[in-house]
Amino acid sequence: MKRTVDVSLPIGPVHPVFKEPCRIKCETRGEYVLNAEIELGYVKKGIERIMRGRPWQEVMFLAERVCGICSVIHNMVFIEGVELISDISLTDRAAYLRVIVNELDRIQSHLLANYSYCYTIEHETLAMYLLNLRETAMDALERLTGARVTCSYIIPGGVRFDLSEADARWLQETVDTIDSELTRFVTMFKTGSLIALRSKEVGIFTREEAIESHAVGPTARASGLTHDCRLDHPTYRRLDFTPVVYTEGDNYARIMVRFDEVFQSTALIRECLDRLELGKIRGGGEVIAGTSRWAGEAPRGELTYQITTDEYGRVMNIGIRTPSIMNIEACAHYMIKGVLSAADVTSTYISSDPCIACNER
Amino acid sequence: MSRLQDLKNTVRSKSIHVCYVNVGSCNGCDIEILACLAPRYDIEQYGIYVHNNPREADVLLITGAFSPQWEDKLMELWEKIPEPKVAIAIGNCPISGCVFNREGSYVDPPVRKHIPIGAEVPGCPPRPTEILQAVLSLAPVVFKDYEGGNE
Amino acid sequence: MSLSVIWYLKEFIRSEWLRKFFFVKTAPLETPAHFRGFPQTTENACTHCFACKMICPAPGAIDVLRDGETWMPHIYLGHCIRCGLCVEACPEDVLTAGRLLEVQKIDQTSYASTFHVVIDPELCKRCGNCSVACPVNKEIDPYLAGTGTASSEEVIMRIIRGEMRVIHPEKCTGCKTCEETCPNHAIRVARVVQGVQEERS
Repeated sequence: MKRTVDVSLPIGPVHPVFKEPCRIKCETRGEYVLNAEIELGYVKKGIERIMRGRPWQEVMFLAERVCGICSVIHNMVFIEGVELISDISLTDRAAYLRVIVNELDRIQSHLLANYSYCYTIEHETLAMYLLNLRETAMDALERLTGARVTCSYIIPGGVRFDLSEADARWLQETVDTIDSELTRFVTMFKTGSLIALRSKEVGIFTREEAIESHAVGPTARASGLTHDCRLDHPTYRRLDFTPVVYTEGDNYARIMVRFDEVFQSTALIRECLDRLELGKIRGGGEVIAGTSRWAGEAPRGELTYQITTDEYGRVMNIGIRTPSIMNIEACAHYMIKGVLSAADVTSTYISSDPCIACNER
Repeated sequence: MSRLQDLKNTVRSKSIHVCYVNVGSCNGCDIEILACLAPRYDIEQYGIYVHNNPREADVLLITGAFSPQWEDKLMELWEKIPEPKVAIAIGNCPISGCVFNREGSYVDPPVRKHIPIGAEVPGCPPRPTEILQAVLSLAPVVFKDYEGGNE
Repeated sequence: MSLSVIWYLKEFIRSEWLRKFFFVKTAPLETPAHFRGFPQTTENACTHCFACKMICPAPGAIDVLRDGETWMPHIYLGHCIRCGLCVEACPEDVLTAGRLLEVQKIDQTSYASTFHVVIDPELCKRCGNCSVACPVNKEIDPYLAGTGTASSEEVIMRIIRGEMRVIHPEKCTGCKTCEETCPNHAIRVARVVQGVQEERS
């Protein structure tokens, strides 16, 4: 009879399920994962270092390229931080347009995350459905901002382009399409018995563990924490908004939080479109010296920028805290540990929606 | 012989295995490659199969501005790909370093310093259609009349 | 079980199914008009004000080159990130990308920039290179370019009583020639940009 020995199983850095390079080292006994460790550092570029000494119109593009998946929120948080320093006010129309673009970005990011999960558990049909639906959200982003990924839409004092009447109507229809299509796919996900086998009770992450590991975003909200930075945002406070919270803390809950947040985002977009009134989209305003700290809710959780500028608006010092680092650590220390098979390691890892590029910058 | 060669060429241009590797990009180009898989673009109808295994790949898509961690690893990865092979630089980063190519950054572009690059797709990021076109137009040229062991 | 196998076999030998399986491709996709692609030049004449080059966030993406008598902006593929800032910044509408130019006309948006010349007195050697090299100074006071001694009070900066003084910073066009000629990196030009919109009627 074969003797069971401890095996150190490395996954990555180039692995079929990873979109980005990262290495997971698992200590296994048979199929049972005892311990996991994550090794990072494959995409370090030193963005914060190049940001120094540059004016906002250059830093804005660097901030966007911290993460290509959630580029809008990086742009938004940086610009809002700069606005906080210089006391630049915002017109109503620009504020709502920002929310619309941010929520469209959230939709595409969540759909991409859920696509990767479905692809990892080898449910390719549902994965392809979700990826196709994501293209609809990308179309909406493209029509509003003129680019698919790096939109560069938000500038101090407003936004770059206005939303025309025809585009607003088209956006309303698109949002309805996303809603009706996604309802179908969520039903597929909820009722699939094989999906339930791979997702429910796998990668358990309790509320206590979530607090201890400082998990943020959908990963924390699937474990019963209600924290959402959108609750503190001045524009979102005017809208009808309550965070989505699940208490199970397994892979299934994490995916369902993302699905429900897509529905929430479409509702927010509809509300913004209703409230949109004609007016100016840019107010101007020069950036002055000061220091600020501003946080926003990225698709993956809380994102914080700490900015110091000099008298001519050049960024002298900048610190970025991205959500993924906490989620990845939480994933390695709590979720993957105790997973029953090596196949579940990758799916559990993907369910926490890691973003390596964000993380290492 | 030539008819056999023609058949080989046709078959080879209709079955391309793609591997993509991120050597320090912002993810923007990676998700555009991923978007090519979507039913709208449907990369698999042209016989292009995307998976991340270099040992089965014909085409290597490179995104990113080459961070120092990949110094030894990328060459190793390139050597693992069986002949005939070609590398395509996707996006501005592997071509010029894009906005990261500034004083004080850790990246070391262009990637063509490190491994031979067959084609470049500019854009930050390029649209999925542009990526698709680059793979489709390059693959038949590279794999044409290839006979193993000649080199 | 056997019925379904027969059904599938029957499906597979239908000529339409076979044709579709081997030959049908999705329709070629066209780039939508609202996508901002690489900037293209229009017929308008370039005045080489370098507004596009100054606002460009990507290193080495755009250059304004002289072709005989005329100047034209040139976009370098592989460097350009398709942000569209140059299109918006150009006062003469020389560049266009997607429907950016039309949208800008409708929205009446533009960027306003001011320039500030800052001299670090600890690093400055009072050599006066910057005031001689400055193209605006040359135009105002040709005598300065020739001899190195200014006679006019209208120049941007000149040496007054052994100190390099900035007299008229509002005249600066942001070309950064002074920054390049300064041997000690003492002078810096800061550009402050703000997005503005005119009141719509």
